[in-house]
Amino acid sequence: MKRLSTLVAACSLVMLTSCAPQTETENAPSENADLTVAMIGDFKMQDTTDPITGQKATGFHAAKAEFERLHPGVTIEFIMMPWSNYVANTQAMIAGSQADVYQMPGVNDFAAQGLVEPLEPFIEEDDDFDLGVYNDNLVEGWKVFGPDDDTPQIYSLPVLGDGRFIQYDKLLFEQWGVEPLSDYPTVEEVIDKAKQMTGENPVTGEQNYGIYFPGTNDTALTLANLMEGFGGEWGTGQRWEDIELHFDSPEMKQALEAMVELADYMPKSFINGQGNERWLTPSNNIAIGINQGNGNLKTIYAQSLQDRFPIVQNFKNENGVGGMFSGSPLAIGKTSKNKDLAWEFIKFSASEYFQRFLWEEWGSTPVIKQATEWESIQEMELMEPVIEAMSNAVTPRYPWASSQPRYILQAKTEGALTGTMSVEQALEEAQRESMEWIGGR
Amino acid sequence: MKAKMGESVQLQTRRNKAAKSTLTWYLFLLPTLLGIACFILYPVFESFRLSFYRSNGTIETWIGLGNYQRVLGSSAFWNAVYNTFYIAFFQLLLAIPAGFVLASMINRIKRFQSMFKVLFFLPNVTSIVAAAMIFMFVLQPEVGLINHFLDLLGLPTSPWLSDPSTSKAGVILLAVWHWLGFVIIICLANLQAISPELYEAAEIDGASSLQQWLFITIPNMAGTFAFLFIMGWISGLQRFQEVFVLGGPGGSPSRSMQTVVALIYERGFGGFEFGIASAITVLLFLIILAFTVLNLKLTRLKL
Repeated sequence: MKRLSTLVAACSLVMLTSCAPQTETENAPSENADLTVAMIGDFKMQDTTDPITGQKATGFHAAKAEFERLHPGVTIEFIMMPWSNYVANTQAMIAGSQADVYQMPGVNDFAAQGLVEPLEPFIEEDDDFDLGVYNDNLVEGWKVFGPDDDTPQIYSLPVLGDGRFIQYDKLLFEQWGVEPLSDYPTVEEVIDKAKQMTGENPVTGEQNYGIYFPGTNDTALTLANLMEGFGGEWGTGQRWEDIELHFDSPEMKQALEAMVELADYMPKSFINGQGNERWLTPSNNIAIGINQGNGNLKTIYAQSLQDRFPIVQNFKNENGVGGMFSGSPLAIGKTSKNKDLAWEFIKFSASEYFQRFLWEEWGSTPVIKQATEWESIQEMELMEPVIEAMSNAVTPRYPWASSQPRYILQAKTEGALTGTMSVEQALEEAQRESMEWIGGR
Repeated sequence: MKAKMGESVQLQTRRNKAAKSTLTWYLFLLPTLLGIACFILYPVFESFRLSFYRSNGTIETWIGLGNYQRVLGSSAFWNAVYNTFYIAFFQLLLAIPAGFVLASMINRIKRFQSMFKVLFFLPNVTSIVAAAMIFMFVLQPEVGLINHFLDLLGLPTSPWLSDPSTSKAGVILLAVWHWLGFVIIICLANLQAISPELYEAAEIDGASSLQQWLFITIPNMAGTFAFLFIMGWISGLQRFQEVFVLGGPGGSPSRSMQTVVALIYERGFGGFEFGIASAITVLLFLIILAFTVLNLKLTRLKL
């Protein structure tokens, strides 16, 4: 009896001391909406002012009004989720049928679970809609497998563009007397120039770092791009049963060795995603940033630094392809009660109005070809290489990018970068553990 | 006879009243019990059920003990168990003695006692997520506050969170800083409850201050130490938020900070392996349960 009471008491203690992290979402879905759209990012319903640039951004109330004007009698609602924990949030929202349309960067996982609607029937039946409006490579890039598909199908269509590229500080290059980067730099060129610009700046006397790439979540993706620069491939296949990884290929070994060398030209804290606090500011102390995203362009222009920080392409293989395909598409939830209206919203998302709204108010890269003709794009020279970067990324998206092999590869890469294991050991373990994981699925 | 009957009727009435009264109280408790059933018991049993399935959130396949087999055979799990115990052990080892010593000092002073209580307790009311974000900068190897002071004092600096060999020390530092105030407040409550007559008697017997502290204060604190020890271990084994902020779900660098709960998050929400995540959850529950029972036995704490 005494033992039992001790056990029960211990159980109670364990349960009562548990806790769960919380995340915030803006506005909960209401019962009255005909259509609910879940967006991810810093979007707001109300007008806001950017704390860095001071620029005002019109809130999503404007997009709501426009969509409702085009569809009289319809009420649309937006739910804004933060980027942090977006996978968990999306999973929870889908489980509760909280929205009709979802911004879904991880569409491959949700499609595989049969949680999203295939879009090809809508596309075929709609004479007003043409996939040609989208930039090259994007529709192809978001094709994924449903639970019963033999080939990748369209389960989502692009809404936010994102290109990965290399950016550098022209001023530091001048101060060090180093030639600017080529438009399509090789890994060797970047290593050589980063090495030259690490140390005490000959003009300012400040400590400079030759290179930076974000550690933490992006380490494995940076490694993959370096490997593409050496002409390698991550592997073959798209469905888990067909996938063969090449994490221990000679090109991957070259890439990780290059990464280990580059670590000497970076701030120590890069591994925690720190050390680049001054990057893209007037007091910048880093010469080259690889595997960069396009979230800072508006800030660069607001500081009038566009001429100081040119953009060139990521590392490419012999076919001119390289870098992670990224961005966000929109998908229709399987449980949506209003799929036709949801499709109307996806069409609306590809309209000039909505793409302009996302770009001009919120700085999201447009996904439609027409955008290159807009004055707001043309006056931003940096957008040209960004749009190019979207069209030459690796497609279809790395199928391992949101599953265990990515975490395994990240951990092993970090092990090599911090000197706790050799390059060979790191890659051999990454390959073995990842293939074991695939085999055990 | 009549008297006996009257007595039994009275007894019956009293029993009815007592039963009614009990029922009323249970009625008041009903919303809470329903809440516990819906939000604690159901998820616990659902998670236990899920641990026997291969599940991506929607499609489930029965695999029996397959998830447990995979988890127990994975080096990442044992690494996470090691990290979790390591951080919790050193957090307790540093925070409980330091908190007790500080509480004893605060208990002795006549002025500014409340100010010190507030000062030490402030970190504990700070959100651990916010504190972790600040510590990211405090522990920054190049421009961080701690390395700056170490440098000023001519002491060797540390890479802290940027190196697998020192990252756990950074987490322990944050955990101790955050928990110390709680330890102090709990110890102070106990210290103030020790009868002054004991000290007076000891003083008459010629005991020094140090002897009084060693032979009166410390033995009288046993219950408090046991409570802190058990609660500290339970919360320590559930560590997630601070390591998630400092090193992401992967416990970067190189899984050196990844705790069991962070691994649950990584497998569940990072890769849609809800069966695996549930199996780890059940294993964590069993680990904490066994450890708590052991601690209760060791400390003889009466709940």
